[in-house]
Amino acid sequence: MFEDEKYEELFPLSMTHATFELRCGYTTLLEKILRRFPGVGVSYFLRDYLTPIFKRRVRGEAINNLNILKKDDFLLVNGRWLLSERDKLTLEGDEEVGLYGQDIAFARVRQNTIKGCLAENFTKFLNNVKDKVEAKEVEANLISYPWNLVNNNPKAIEEDFKAFEKKGVFGKFSPQAIIEGKEENVFIAETADVQPFAVLDATHGPIILDEGVKVFPFSRIEGPASVGRDTQILRANIREGTSIGPVCRVGGEVEASIIHGYSNKYHTGFLGHAYVGEWVNLGALTTNSDLKNDYSTVEVHIKGKLIDSGDTKVGCFIGDHTKTSVGCLLNTGAVIGVMSNVIASGEPSPKFIPSFCWYFRGRFSKGWGFRRMIETERVVMDRRGISLTEEEVTLFQTLYDLTREERETLIKRSRAKLRGKGE
Amino acid sequence: MSVEKRVKSIIAEILGLDKEEIKRDSIFVDNLGVESLDVVEMIAAMEEEFDIEIPDEEAERNVTVGQAIDYIKEKLKKKRASKGKKD
Repeated sequence: MFEDEKYEELFPLSMTHATFELRCGYTTLLEKILRRFPGVGVSYFLRDYLTPIFKRRVRGEAINNLNILKKDDFLLVNGRWLLSERDKLTLEGDEEVGLYGQDIAFARVRQNTIKGCLAENFTKFLNNVKDKVEAKEVEANLISYPWNLVNNNPKAIEEDFKAFEKKGVFGKFSPQAIIEGKEENVFIAETADVQPFAVLDATHGPIILDEGVKVFPFSRIEGPASVGRDTQILRANIREGTSIGPVCRVGGEVEASIIHGYSNKYHTGFLGHAYVGEWVNLGALTTNSDLKNDYSTVEVHIKGKLIDSGDTKVGCFIGDHTKTSVGCLLNTGAVIGVMSNVIASGEPSPKFIPSFCWYFRGRFSKGWGFRRMIETERVVMDRRGISLTEEEVTLFQTLYDLTREERETLIKRSRAKLRGKGE
Repeated sequence: MSVEKRVKSIIAEILGLDKEEIKRDSIFVDNLGVESLDVVEMIAAMEEEFDIEIPDEEAERNVTVGQAIDYIKEKLKKKRASKGKKD
């Protein structure tokens, strides 16, 4: 599995996750690919600064180790590939490079060719493979931008559901709860608990409730939808096309969105066509816009520029560890970085709030600064029984440094404007 | 650079002022127009610059630039003394 150089176009989501760790459907991009090749050994190639935390997530596998490639034939797969059941990707076959446009979707390479292509880093090695091995055009759904994950989510949930061996109700299901549609279109795990007056509407798509999920009374979940391990749905209206990862607390209204995991949107407020990272807390009445009043296509801030998504329904993209205050209004297509703090200002937020930045009373600020932000996250994670590791602190320091320039530019501009010295 | 110069430099940057405008007897709120968020930023910046911790209740007592400078000097003195004892 490899990350290519387009990981930045998936910021802020891919700042703290390899591209293949992003969620689309019930599973991640990586899990879908590994499902195709059960029992096969995997090596990973990703950004160096992610390696220490990634090692904790995939213990025992080779990471960024080019020497491993000398030992066998390899199928190299682009981690941005949202693999679908219709995609013909196999271990066996001729040596070839599958190109989708200019991007390498996969390369099937023999050991001897690998040895001849090895270079000082994986990117150079891959380019050598592209030069040496016969290439063909393939169809591959390579996720390019954050909204691609959201748009593909409903179909991805359906395909993930098909992969379940068992379907039906295996957990606690109140006699006063309702399934609309066929029971075989839901999976309720053994330790899941669906409480009275909850409605699971599986008429338009499947619903997955993982182990330990609790669906509290007066919640409605409309398929296709998936809810991860130990997540609680608290009087929420979960609309179709939503995937919620593990250990989340979700209330209010959520439509066609992905919440990666360990995040809270406990209270009333709307979240639509959005991707929310891990350890995010959306304060009560936080609401995002996913449709402009003129119904035109939405632009999203990617790598310093506004990119036209081509879609009219685009929500927001929030990096890990970010917090919003009560009553925050998030603009259509807003991008909020990692570990930011957004305080309601009575108006829709800016389209872009950089990482490790406060947005307060209409101005960008360093806020409490890096050290205190880290201490807050230590407390946040501790509440769920998880310790913030030194590797994570190092990663955040790296990201803090990487995002310094964009943050300080906006802060300086804010300060100048405040003092009447700027535009 | 002296503590005084470093403190004034931080204040000037956060408030968008020239360093010459910042005097020891400048009152943060009345003279320099400091707002609550500026206070937060200044505390964070001083903590980072001098590698000290500034509890909120102690920060509140520093009403002028001079008081802030003296406070930080005292903090650094205590830090050096504490390090000396450990060594």
